[in-house]
Amino acid sequence: MKQKVQTYSKMIFQLIRRIHTSPAYKAAESSLLAKLRKKTGYTIANCKKALEMHNNDADKAETWLHEQAQAMGWAKATKLAGRTALQGLVAVKFDKNHGALVELNCETDFVAKNDKFQKMIEDAAIASFKFAHTKLQAKGPITKMELDSEQLGTLHAEGGKKLSEILALFIGSVGENAVLRRAECWKANSEDVKIAGYTHPAPSSSSDYSSGKYGALLAYKQPNDVEDIGRQLCQHIVGCAPTKIGDKEKDKPAKNSDDETCLIFQEYLLDPSYTIEEILQKHNVEIIDYVRFSCGEVPESCMPGVEKQPLETVQTLQ
Amino acid sequence: MSCRLILRSIYYQCKKNTSFSCSSYIKTRFNGLVQLELRNFSTKPKSDVTEKKHCNVGTIGHVDHGKTTLTAAITKVLAKDGLANYVSYDEIDKAPEEKARGITINAAHVGYSTKLRHYAHTDCPGHADYVRNMISGASQMDAAILVVAADDGPMPQTREHLLLAKQVGIRYVLVFINKADIVNDEIIELVEIEMRELLSDFGYDSDGAPLICGSALRALQGDPSEHGVPSVQRLLDAMDEYIPRIVRDVTSPFLMPIDNAFTVPGRGTVVVGTIKRGVMKRNDDADLMGFGYNIKTTLSDIQIFRKSVPEAIAGDNVGVLLRGMKIRSVETGMLLCAARSMKMTNHYKANIYFLTRSEGGRKKPVFSKYSQQMFSGTWNIACRIDLEPSMHMMMPGDHGEVYLTLLEDMVMTQGQPFTIRENNVTVATGIVTETLSSVDVPKGKLGKVELKLD
Repeated sequence: MKQKVQTYSKMIFQLIRRIHTSPAYKAAESSLLAKLRKKTGYTIANCKKALEMHNNDADKAETWLHEQAQAMGWAKATKLAGRTALQGLVAVKFDKNHGALVELNCETDFVAKNDKFQKMIEDAAIASFKFAHTKLQAKGPITKMELDSEQLGTLHAEGGKKLSEILALFIGSVGENAVLRRAECWKANSEDVKIAGYTHPAPSSSSDYSSGKYGALLAYKQPNDVEDIGRQLCQHIVGCAPTKIGDKEKDKPAKNSDDETCLIFQEYLLDPSYTIEEILQKHNVEIIDYVRFSCGEVPESCMPGVEKQPLETVQTLQ
Repeated sequence: MSCRLILRSIYYQCKKNTSFSCSSYIKTRFNGLVQLELRNFSTKPKSDVTEKKHCNVGTIGHVDHGKTTLTAAITKVLAKDGLANYVSYDEIDKAPEEKARGITINAAHVGYSTKLRHYAHTDCPGHADYVRNMISGASQMDAAILVVAADDGPMPQTREHLLLAKQVGIRYVLVFINKADIVNDEIIELVEIEMRELLSDFGYDSDGAPLICGSALRALQGDPSEHGVPSVQRLLDAMDEYIPRIVRDVTSPFLMPIDNAFTVPGRGTVVVGTIKRGVMKRNDDADLMGFGYNIKTTLSDIQIFRKSVPEAIAGDNVGVLLRGMKIRSVETGMLLCAARSMKMTNHYKANIYFLTRSEGGRKKPVFSKYSQQMFSGTWNIACRIDLEPSMHMMMPGDHGEVYLTLLEDMVMTQGQPFTIRENNVTVATGIVTETLSSVDVPKGKLGKVELKLD
């Protein structure tokens, strides 16, 4: 009993002391801070600063935070720009005549699992896909446009924002470096040229958009009456990583089939008893071109040197 | 009686003939036999365990929040008492990539001890690194220290960090609120509330988990103020207290993988192995299982270090005399367990990692129905791997869940490691995550197995 009384009196004493030492307004302030942070998700330090600037007016602080987010994101992005980012995702979006392959990098693979990151790469893929619907036309069967990170950043996502602005916002919110690494935008110049894409790991149902660690885009010719194997060929390219299509007259098959780098001499991934060449003949397919991205495969410094020219004139003719 | 004489003469013959390279091997074997003959009953010799218990911990958290600084600070604080070697920030940061079982893990391992325990501390930068670390068995983490900077608070990817902790089976999470010296108490309180909310979201003990505020940088500089050295000391105390001691499981039914077996003339078959869990008592009923066989038997006698004992517990290396067992029916890799305690099956779910080409793995991806030899413990068997139906293929370097189908029924327990070898080269390694009900292998052909995967 005596002990109980003692603990109670101690509790009461503590309560009184607390009221004395921490005035009520402070408690209200921290709950405001908690609310603001939960609502906006910006860092605690920034939320506190916003509240201090606006005399604890939550609404004003929130608007200010949103206004500042872009600037803060840019500042953070500039600060982190030197750090290597080799994790991330490759995304593909395509229809019958257009295709886009985009790589977006970040520092740790935790970030790549984030919903915001996945939304951002989808935005980038859609923007590049739209960019592929250009009026420009190259002489060959397909028009290919390679974009480097600067050019990719100037594309506009849905809602009118530049991709580089979205990226800066993202860097501001996660506090890690991220890079719009590169993109490949393709357009078929005639009706009989088809485009297919694939990423690994692939989504369970095939759709026109997917993202993963590896990706490939393929342009091919195939009559409409035979079974379409574009997707399967893309899967083969992702899996076996050929370095070139190969020419039957000029190139010779490698001695060890495991080391084969010419696409046409490789064993078909889905049925190793055939080579790709036999599969192409069987299905009446002509491969025009392909491109394969493996996430984080090239450090920034060794990226293909697309000259810094305005986006409107970027074009690689065949 | 004559049998005993013959045995003895052989035993002494061998003892004399020490020039044989294998003589010591034979000696120990026969020693065992002779002792068995003499029925030298005694209790297990008691040894004083003075060595410290071991525990694996790791740091997880955002890149800039001070994981590495904290690790360096811990070693510096403990180095004063001679309990660790000071490892500087640069040494941890530039740790050479480690190769465990041929798998490259981009991780730094640091060791230190407190008054109570010895800790192995892992600092991996990425999700894939943690998973590889776990699958390769380099170290299974018992607990994680989640580092969060007080000025930033939990970031969007903190959820991913905790999700990973859950996935790799970490049961205890401690939180270190770093950079507490540059913010005021209200903010620390807020970070604390948010962290506890996050912990409970992922099913961790949100009220009981220790939350320590401090500054790893100040501790590293040797600052004696509240947020300096004492904060790291508090963290270490919390680790000693919060992470429970790993005790050997002596309550479950016993389990012992067979390392070796031999015949004692006139007595029967003796199997040798280390008890994985449980308590073994003389005259217990037991099952000997593996390679499709399930043989009922009784433990006639148990010996530890050539001395017959009435019971043996997990961790003991024992020889067990089995009643009515023929040596022909025992194969290395079988399992001795309490009667009706284990089920044998040939179908398992597992977490697997395919080695990359540079690690000596395959060059091409793997598809379902991939059949190769599987190695685990002391045995190997033909095995078929099927991917999740949603997966098209697995590239070298990928990790994920797969289904294993073995040619014969075997006993494997959750967490049991295995490797897959193709043409005598290790191409994959993994651990068993779930036991599924047995499937029929028509005419011993794995390729013809029909799997119903959901």
